[in-house]
Amino acid sequence: MPTPSSRYLRTAFVAGLFVILCIGGYTYQHISELSKASEVVKDNYSLRSELELVISNLKDAEIGHRGFLLTHDSLFLTPYEESLQKISNNLEKLDTLIVPNSKQVDKLKDLNSDIQKRFENFSKSFARVNDSEVLTKDLLYLLHEGEIQMDTIRSDISEMLDLEQRLLVQNQEISQGKIGLTPLLFYGLLIVTLVILLLAYIKMTTDLKALKESNTELEIFEKLTKQSEIVSNTSTWVWYIEEDEFEFSDNLYRLLGEEPQSFEPTLINFYKFVHEEDLTNLGHRVNLMMKEGELPFTSFRVVHKDGTIKHLKAYSKLMDETDGEKKIFGVTVDATNEVENYRIIEQRNQELERTNKELSAFNYVASHDLQEPLRKIQTFMSRLEAKEKDRISESGQIYIQRMKSASARMRMLIEDLLQYSRTNTSEKEYLKTNMNLLLEHAKTELIDSIEEKRAKIICDDLPTMEVISFQIQQLFINIISNSLKYSKEDVPPIIEITHEEVLSRNVKQIQNSLYKYHHKITFKDNGIGFEQPYAEKIFLLFNRLHGKSEYSGTGIGLAICKKIVENHKGVIIAEGEPNKGATFIIYLPFLK
Amino acid sequence: MNSDYINLALADDDEDDRLFFTEAFEELKVKSKVSLFKDGIELMDYLDDSNNAIPNLLFLDLNMPKKSGLECLKEIKASQRFKDMAIAIYSTSASEEDIENTFVIGANVYIKKPNDFEKLKKVLSEVVTTNWQYHTSGLNKENFLLRL
Amino acid sequence: MKLLLKFDFTKVCNAVLEQRLEAHQLKYQQTAFGEIELLDKVSEEKLDLFYNDINDFGIDVVKDPKKIVIQKIKDVIVDMVFNEKDINVKTSVYLAEQLNENYSYLSNLFSEVTYTSIENFIILQKIEYTKILLTKEELSLTEIAFKLNYSSVAHLSRQFKNTTGITPSAFQRIIAKRKQIN
Repeated sequence: MPTPSSRYLRTAFVAGLFVILCIGGYTYQHISELSKASEVVKDNYSLRSELELVISNLKDAEIGHRGFLLTHDSLFLTPYEESLQKISNNLEKLDTLIVPNSKQVDKLKDLNSDIQKRFENFSKSFARVNDSEVLTKDLLYLLHEGEIQMDTIRSDISEMLDLEQRLLVQNQEISQGKIGLTPLLFYGLLIVTLVILLLAYIKMTTDLKALKESNTELEIFEKLTKQSEIVSNTSTWVWYIEEDEFEFSDNLYRLLGEEPQSFEPTLINFYKFVHEEDLTNLGHRVNLMMKEGELPFTSFRVVHKDGTIKHLKAYSKLMDETDGEKKIFGVTVDATNEVENYRIIEQRNQELERTNKELSAFNYVASHDLQEPLRKIQTFMSRLEAKEKDRISESGQIYIQRMKSASARMRMLIEDLLQYSRTNTSEKEYLKTNMNLLLEHAKTELIDSIEEKRAKIICDDLPTMEVISFQIQQLFINIISNSLKYSKEDVPPIIEITHEEVLSRNVKQIQNSLYKYHHKITFKDNGIGFEQPYAEKIFLLFNRLHGKSEYSGTGIGLAICKKIVENHKGVIIAEGEPNKGATFIIYLPFLK
Repeated sequence: MNSDYINLALADDDEDDRLFFTEAFEELKVKSKVSLFKDGIELMDYLDDSNNAIPNLLFLDLNMPKKSGLECLKEIKASQRFKDMAIAIYSTSASEEDIENTFVIGANVYIKKPNDFEKLKKVLSEVVTTNWQYHTSGLNKENFLLRL
Repeated sequence: MKLLLKFDFTKVCNAVLEQRLEAHQLKYQQTAFGEIELLDKVSEEKLDLFYNDINDFGIDVVKDPKKIVIQKIKDVIVDMVFNEKDINVKTSVYLAEQLNENYSYLSNLFSEVTYTSIENFIILQKIEYTKILLTKEELSLTEIAFKLNYSSVAHLSRQFKNTTGITPSAFQRIIAKRKQIN
């Protein structure tokens, strides 16, 4: 396909050529017209001079005639005779010079007849000549008549001259009109041609400049490509299908462990490096590529001369260039690292899967098998207590009470532990959830202890967030129940829940987060609080700040909270002041 | 419905649990007849025999050898014969998702086995009375969901 | 094709009863829901035939006088809840008025026979009605709480959870998932 610029140049060239042809045509036409006009002028002048000659010859004849009349010397007759001859020549010439079919023809006839008459007069006068008398009456009359005839001829000639003059002027006017426009036209056409040529020139120079620039760019690009091939362990190659010739980039040689361009780039030479196990498959793929013009991602191994094995990956596609030459462009990449990383990841994944399976198996054991015997112990104990109470001694009954509370604690531990491991493994399905609803559910779950403690929960309007709803509900339950549990004995608990959106970089704990924004949800209570140095410890598994007898609990609740928040890529912070209360701040990231 | 006692069935592989269950009903005021099954296969054999009366209320342990409670539940729900039988899952604790799933499949009641005999009695009595209400008061059985 | 049906139980029951009575050519007068008076004298045999027939439709003739009262109490409560009766007095007063009996007598009798209290029965019925409104009418819990004269949504929500062990939203979710499966 021609580029727009070359099309433009072609148009300019054709237009210029056309204009020049036009100019040539016009010039030819005008010059031929001009020469015709000058021909007319020349004829005109010849006619004039011929007419003048007629008169002058007539005069010569008259002089000779008069001389003869005076002297009777026949010597004078010679010029007379000559003039006579000249005049008849003149008249013949005039006949050819005058424009046919014009007034001039009539005039010429008049002149002819008048001259004829004049000569007749001459002849008559010669006849009257006798030697005796110089001038006879007849002769005088003839002379007189001759004088009148001369005047007539003169007037004939002057009329003819006048006419010719007029014709000349007329002719000149006509050709003037025709020729007068010619310079302007020439000039105009020349200007147009010049403009076209100028434009073409500008276009050509800009194109040339662009070409130069893109050439430099191409050079830079080529250098960069070479460098980037080295850095990124990639290489390129071209296969000219028609000529069945290959072109390998320098780095392809390097990928094969060879010096650039150290051997002839052919398929056979390349195959020499391919691992024998991969040769069949690669050969098959290449054959397919030759048929279909495309090589899908194909992995194979090559063996360097020193025995190193590298994993390569090739891809190619047919490019149907406008010049009609079919080429296949290919890229070959060193995928050794990728393959090795993939292998490591796969190994780790398998390990992870195994641990996960072990964990869920443990989960099951904890949930079912451990709970089962404990539940039975408890139930049998309740049976024992109900049925055999009267037969058991007082101390025996105390033991039963101790056993009951110990097994109750064990149950609590198992259940909490189970919940903790469930936050690890349960389905992680993030759904858009109205947090107000989750808080409401949490409150419903805790309604008994909320009412028992006459607790007041004040809450901001919470947003809708993408969360694992079961877990966030559990988080709310655990934080609120923590506040309820560690409330001051004589003061009804007040829990204030507030929400705001924060820019991550404005908060110390999350300033390095990948997310730009975080939801900040704060739970503030008026309970017994804690000493700030313990702020991090309280989130540790089985960590308790208080003795078992003071406050029941397993030390798992807040660890679960931390786990859940971490599952959501968030951060949980505790702030406390003894006897004033505790504040739990949760930062959960979100995309805005 | 005309009979004076309520026809109950329990499928549980645990001997102790079967004992607690029968003892609880013995102590409750509700007149009942309890059939016991050691596993899912035994239960389904009994139910599939059309000579046997269909229980009003079936208690189903989830973890049983040979055929699990969940498999039994699915089989029972697939048959029109048992559409009037209420099903109570009688199991140790499970995750919220698992519990919800049993309801979705068609269980009416989910009972987490209590660790106290008195509690057990209370729970079973509540299940039976609620079930009774659904039978006698023309309530929509579709909406019979109870978790204890 | 699947159809979702919603029943007016009172109408259905009355229609069935009417049809059966007419089939047996019994002249009757309905005195209340679940209570009819046969106008002619009918032989024991004919009555037995009728009893057996209606038994197939799940209708029982209550013979025990205690059970008759219980059934009446239940009928009044069901009618009160499901037909959204506007009652200005306390339920206990309303029940006593309707049945023309002392409330404490009714209450004791009810507990004795049904192993549950009248109050519990009322709550149960209200929650059942809530379930229907939640799933069939797709009303929000707020609307239902207002409709059933609850002091707050939280109160209804709590009562729902206490009665069924499930939160209203979990209930809705389960029913919706069941429909998806079928």
